[in-house]
Amino acid sequence: MKPTSFMASAIMLLVLPFYAQAQGRISPIPENPSTAPQIELDGTGIATLAFQNRKSTSGSATQFDFSDSSLMLGISQRLLKSGAVGSFVAGVTTTDQTESSSATSLLLSQLYLDYQNRSMDAYLGRNGVQTKLFDFPTLRGSDLNEFVNVLDPFSNGVITDESRYSDTAGIQWNHKLHYFMDLHLQHLLTTAAPYAGQTGINSYGVTLKYEAAPELTAISKVPFWGAGYERQTIGTAQGGASNILYGGIIYNIVPSPINRLDLRLQDIYSFSNGLSSISSVPDTFRAASNSVAASLRFLHQVQGMPGYEIALTGGYRSYNNFTHANTYALALTGTKRLGVGFDLITQYTFQHRESLYASALGVPKDESRIELGFVFNFENTFNPHIGPRRTLQNLQHQYIPE
Amino acid sequence: MCDETRIDRRKFLGFAGFAGGALSLEPKAGSAQEPTERSVIWNSNFDPESLDPKWNPRALPEKGETIHEFDIDLVIAEHEIVPRIVFHAYAYNGVVPGPELRVREGEWIKVNFTNKTHDLHTIHWHGIDLACEMDGVPLGTQYPVMYNQTFQYLFRAQPSGTHWYHCHNMTPLHIQAGMYGPLIIEPINDPVLQAFPYSRDYTLVLSEIDTDYVRDQMNAMLQMGEVMDYMNGSPTLMKEMSGKMMGWFVNKEAFVKAVKDGWTPPYDPSIAGPPRLPNPNFFMINGKSYPMTEPIMIKSGEFIRVRFINAGAATRFMHLHGHDFWVVCEDGAPLASPIRHNTVAVHPSNTVDIIIHGTNPGMWHFHDHSEISDTNNGSFPGGMMTMLMYEDAAKYGVHVPDIIAVNS
Repeated sequence: MKPTSFMASAIMLLVLPFYAQAQGRISPIPENPSTAPQIELDGTGIATLAFQNRKSTSGSATQFDFSDSSLMLGISQRLLKSGAVGSFVAGVTTTDQTESSSATSLLLSQLYLDYQNRSMDAYLGRNGVQTKLFDFPTLRGSDLNEFVNVLDPFSNGVITDESRYSDTAGIQWNHKLHYFMDLHLQHLLTTAAPYAGQTGINSYGVTLKYEAAPELTAISKVPFWGAGYERQTIGTAQGGASNILYGGIIYNIVPSPINRLDLRLQDIYSFSNGLSSISSVPDTFRAASNSVAASLRFLHQVQGMPGYEIALTGGYRSYNNFTHANTYALALTGTKRLGVGFDLITQYTFQHRESLYASALGVPKDESRIELGFVFNFENTFNPHIGPRRTLQNLQHQYIPE
Repeated sequence: MCDETRIDRRKFLGFAGFAGGALSLEPKAGSAQEPTERSVIWNSNFDPESLDPKWNPRALPEKGETIHEFDIDLVIAEHEIVPRIVFHAYAYNGVVPGPELRVREGEWIKVNFTNKTHDLHTIHWHGIDLACEMDGVPLGTQYPVMYNQTFQYLFRAQPSGTHWYHCHNMTPLHIQAGMYGPLIIEPINDPVLQAFPYSRDYTLVLSEIDTDYVRDQMNAMLQMGEVMDYMNGSPTLMKEMSGKMMGWFVNKEAFVKAVKDGWTPPYDPSIAGPPRLPNPNFFMINGKSYPMTEPIMIKSGEFIRVRFINAGAATRFMHLHGHDFWVVCEDGAPLASPIRHNTVAVHPSNTVDIIIHGTNPGMWHFHDHSEISDTNNGSFPGGMMTMLMYEDAAKYGVHVPDIIAVNS
């Protein structure tokens, strides 16, 4: 993707509020245009120079990679009912480098509306998949994709990020803002035959989660745990519906705001799909399998001093009905903080695939990659007048609706 | 009082030289002429030593002296300013403002202050002549009071007058969040009462809040406090609680060395970004904004005393409709002579006492005439406004409409 097209999309996002206002003028209920909403602008820029041990289609083993960069705009307004907030979020994410199809290298990753009050959220639109429990400490969210994400059986696999975003509608209830139950319907992005172009609901499920106070994740022994069930409605010709159980936990082996060592552990187990062979990328997404992933992360941070992070993430995936299709991967990631939100980062990844799996994907059995680059994260809120629900005051004292 | 018309050029130059000497911050030996100059500029009864405390501030209670003991717990409480506007307050004993402490001059005050939040706090006794160890300045005269700790303040009530107390830790946040309260020390012989036989005594604490600032900063402070409490429980982590983590250093040299060694101070733009200073959206009298403020009641012919305490960060110009009033005290001290006003400036941290005489039956607005503060989240009327209400207005044929307007 060319940077100019990314910028054009960003500019388009920035003018969205004005378009929304214009829509408001023709709505049946007159709006008050002077009530300014809260506006949040978040973004991540990732740019690395990567060296792979196999040549790409252009013939070079070296590659510029700025995938998984994103820009997101969130607009919120307090609603008339006390404590209720309405939001609109739109965002784009750069995807894997596909020079031949540059039009698809910018993915509309977020475009949803959300109604929130103290006890529940209701959301509708394009969002992150609801089967995602937490991020592993790799450079990009799509790193070690088949180990850490519930895969999209309707994707052709050209764009890895299709397993990370979906069209979704759901309701999430909470208990004391620590325990969450999410019921959702999803349309997983559909680019693989024979479903390509379809837009219907093809996945649904339930997720249960616990989250500690966001400000105390460094000192909580268990900042997060979660589990869920998902049913993907794959047609019988492709082996039939897939049922998936998944669960994960973040465990602070050494809770500390200074030298923190944490463990992430997750398992994704899919069953009931009856594919008798895997010969394509979508087959590998559909066939019954088990993926386990774990990471160890050491984070050193002293207030006012540059910090660093070292993480080792590993994954293992096996297929229930096939032999010689196992695969495993490792990622060693190092991050040096240069300033608030700005990091120097390097990552080495290695993946081994057994013959059947490598053949289905059309890639070598062994592959390694080393990357060096910069990452910039930022978030900024304009017109702030809506507080987050999960402040320490709300979690530990009386809840005050915002 | 200073009579400016009597200052001739030679004496004016003498006064200017005196001021210049003060500005130089260098102590200078007095000259034989100085007493004469002073006595000409100010009233001949002026006594430069009248500021001296009546009692030794470092003395301890003696047997038989009265000691008033108060328990003050600092808790996080919900506080409603006006309907639908509620914030998490740092509240002394759960109320905003904190409880009014009222004692007689010369008596002792003992306060058992317990911090029941994960932030760090103190109580500073504003305007009181006391031992510096009781002054409540964190890392200046005491260590801040941490979670579940109790600090005992003990001091003699002096000087008399209208004073107040507040937290002196992270002051821009903690005062906005509600940590202020009145401290009234009644004089042994009240000159104001002798001049004006007032029958009611009102205390109006003026303050403002940026509710978003308070929420966000309180969340950040509670996070830091909880992390510190966690580290306190670990000998290993305690070693990490150095100046570099806390931003506390033994002296300037240690601070400068830390910066040279790569430590970045929190005000540095690389960490702080653009400044986030409070931008108040609610303005209060005794913790409430109009129309939820309490009215001041008076009868025809009655004298009442009103004590203003400005716990905010901006000067307030309190104006009473339909009346002049007497300004009688500032910062607790009686003026040399009452001053007639209908608007009085109350500066940040300043206290001003006025006497109102019931001479004009009716209901009268009483508000800060900077006007911006007469709003609730930018909506007029609201904020720092109350009413002076005559209880016997009907007797004089004054019809007082029973109406509350929250939108003009």
